[in-house]
Amino acid sequence: MDVNPIKDAFDRVAKKQKLSYSKTQEVIDQIFQEISDTIEKIQNTHKSDSRSDYKALLADLKTKIKEMAPLTLLEGTQKELNVALSKYPKLLEKSFNPDISKAYRNVDLDTATVNYIIASHFYRQGLFDVGDCFVTEAMEPESIASIRSPYVEMYQILEAMKSRNLEPALKWATSNSSKLKANGSDLEVKLHRMQYVEILQSGIRDEALSYARIHLARFAADHFAEIQKLMGCLLWAGKLELSPYPDLLYPANWDKLAEELTRQFCSLLGQSFESPLGVTVAAGVQALPPLLKFMNVMWGKKQEWQSMKQLPVPVELDDEFQFHSIFVCPVSKEQATDDNPPWLMPCGHVLCKQSIVKMSKNLSKSFKCPYCPTDIDSGNCKALYF
Amino acid sequence: MLPLLGSNRQPTFISQIPNPDRRDSPKMDIDPLPNGGPAAAVAAAAVAATNAPSSKLSRLAESLKLEHQLTRVPFEHLKKSMRANHRVVEKEVSAVVSAVSDAANAPGEDDAVDRLSSLVSRLQGLKRKLEEGSRTEHLQAQRCRARLDHLESADPENLSEWSNTRLKRIVVDYMLRMSYYDTAAKLAESTNIQDLVDIDVFLEAKKVIDALQNKEVGPALAWCTENKSRLKKSKSIFEFQLRLQEFVELVRAENSMRAITYARKYLAPWGSTHMKELQRVMATLAFRSNTECATYKVLFETKQWDFLVDQFRQEFCRLYGMTFEPLLNIYLQAGLSALKTPFCTEDGCTKEDPLSQECFRKLAMPLPFSKQHHSKLVCYITKELMDTENPPLVLPNGYVYSTKALEEMAKKNNGKIICPRTNFGCDYSDLVKAYIS
Ligand SMILES: [Zn+2]
Repeated sequence: MDVNPIKDAFDRVAKKQKLSYSKTQEVIDQIFQEISDTIEKIQNTHKSDSRSDYKALLADLKTKIKEMAPLTLLEGTQKELNVALSKYPKLLEKSFNPDISKAYRNVDLDTATVNYIIASHFYRQGLFDVGDCFVTEAMEPESIASIRSPYVEMYQILEAMKSRNLEPALKWATSNSSKLKANGSDLEVKLHRMQYVEILQSGIRDEALSYARIHLARFAADHFAEIQKLMGCLLWAGKLELSPYPDLLYPANWDKLAEELTRQFCSLLGQSFESPLGVTVAAGVQALPPLLKFMNVMWGKKQEWQSMKQLPVPVELDDEFQFHSIFVCPVSKEQATDDNPPWLMPCGHVLCKQSIVKMSKNLSKSFKCPYCPTDIDSGNCKALYF
Repeated sequence: MLPLLGSNRQPTFISQIPNPDRRDSPKMDIDPLPNGGPAAAVAAAAVAATNAPSSKLSRLAESLKLEHQLTRVPFEHLKKSMRANHRVVEKEVSAVVSAVSDAANAPGEDDAVDRLSSLVSRLQGLKRKLEEGSRTEHLQAQRCRARLDHLESADPENLSEWSNTRLKRIVVDYMLRMSYYDTAAKLAESTNIQDLVDIDVFLEAKKVIDALQNKEVGPALAWCTENKSRLKKSKSIFEFQLRLQEFVELVRAENSMRAITYARKYLAPWGSTHMKELQRVMATLAFRSNTECATYKVLFETKQWDFLVDQFRQEFCRLYGMTFEPLLNIYLQAGLSALKTPFCTEDGCTKEDPLSQECFRKLAMPLPFSKQHHSKLVCYITKELMDTENPPLVLPNGYVYSTKALEEMAKKNNGKIICPRTNFGCDYSDLVKAYIS
């Protein structure tokens, strides 16, 4: 999107605004000057004792100001400004989608539920102050307390890691060792490795060795090569950057470790890694443009939109939002359902059952696969489960 | 082989970090099964490489077009200040002009000088006000520019950060509309996005809303006067509704005489266009506030005040070019629909799917299901997309998993495959490829 034309248009508004300001100032200054002059003249006539009439001076002033027509001047500058002021929003309406609520279905989103989602979001993002403030302002604190405390613990661990302190992380990983293992995560050994590298790089070889014996040896079965490598590093205590494995010192390792810990922590909490609020809003950002395009076309049928069971237009989201297998029959373009499952044909191509039923004249005849020259006997097709 | 499930798969801002459920797959010993030979793979990769950035850019451009409110609101705010400042100048100047005329009738010279001097200081005051107003306008203009700069700053490189800011902006908007002002201010401040949200605009609304909730119409009427011409243009009857309510309150207080005077002065002007409502409310004089007649009883209910608050919110949003719904609700609804599939409620649903959570399901209940053009298959085991690089394989029982997952399983179990959903067992060599178009 090119913002420059909008910026230019805004500059034109700002320019007119400046012009109007200086003209207004001028008008006021002029009146100010005329009145001040008149005061002076009245006082001077007094001094010089020439008994000229102050009334004549006042009448003069009145005429001058009338001739100046300050109100007309002001109106003129305002008119010019108004042209710019009315043009700019029109440009905005043209450049943007002026009403993104056109695809909104008139159902109330339950406020308590939305608030609960937002509060959880604040806590999982580590925005505890904001979260607490929100809970005080908008919710029953009891409803959310159980969400808050685990995230407090997680952020304590992460904060410690930021200052290169692995103690809390190791403590947590150790006490959740079996759960981590069940998750297929080797976070525990990664943490110990990091700790070992830290000790080794500080130059205390003996301590590193004994740490390895106590904490790393028991992972030998699954991580044999890795541990051999780590033990080899003992030769470069205090100068790992010269060893064959300088990558052990990369600062990015800490970020990766913190991310892995966050991932596992959320997973053990039964929570997603990404904020579900963030994911849903991001999906909404991608879904709105095609929905709005559609609504612009069928604005007259707003009523139908309110009751549709399925979105009237396909909405392709980025792959990261794909959480389930969707099979769309390439022949009928319909999404597979339990009643109309995908069927695998002997050639390896897949169609929906209904399409195969149709093409085989109710499963009575063989037919040609629409994608390859194979003759298909519907008896040799089978349902797929993704 | 027909194209390409997700072969233009590019990590985007959310998925830079893969799913916790998606396990890292170790390097294969088994050769990956090629699809249409290496040349096709190279071609596909090339298409992916050229396609992805442009589609990313167009996605971004489309998303920026949703930001009308971001640019419109500060402009309307600026416009409002400019108009108000101008009105002050006009009023003062016209007062000074007529005072100059009057001064001609001054009974004496000293009196004339006094009068003129007071005009001089009045003009000095006006100049100060003008400067002050100009400073406010300048700040508001800066805010308009900051919004445009922010839009311009969005590019695929910083999309993740930009999207995070967008989410915060949307949440602040929600807070403001729901009258959670403290949270709005705190969130904006702690994340340094004050220039990108409209807290001051909403504080203006807060005054009116608070007053209406206290059953006072004063600030709301003042607001109507401030925005008279624009309300007239949009054919708003909000002021009439406020007047009706005030009238009803006089009737409630059994103050019939005052009610009638009030009606003559403030309701009669609306008679030509809204006679029916006018007559209905006048009839309350006969029925009084304890009436059981449904038509009139409702006029005395306190929810009439809630209705006025609602009405005000609508007028306010319209004036500033905002959507009436909070932005968050609009994005949530669109997002929930786009994510809603019949599979979200099944047992195997990944936690990364927001609709695996009860509260999101609740919100999605009245919304339509998503619709997709193309097949996109997600491996039950790895939760990764199955595409040309990681094609789907079919077990003899019809269950489908990704090549990667099954290769790994085979490697660990001497070529044996066990279906994780049915416990059906077979050999790796029994698997057949499915071609999904
Ligand atoms: Zn075929």
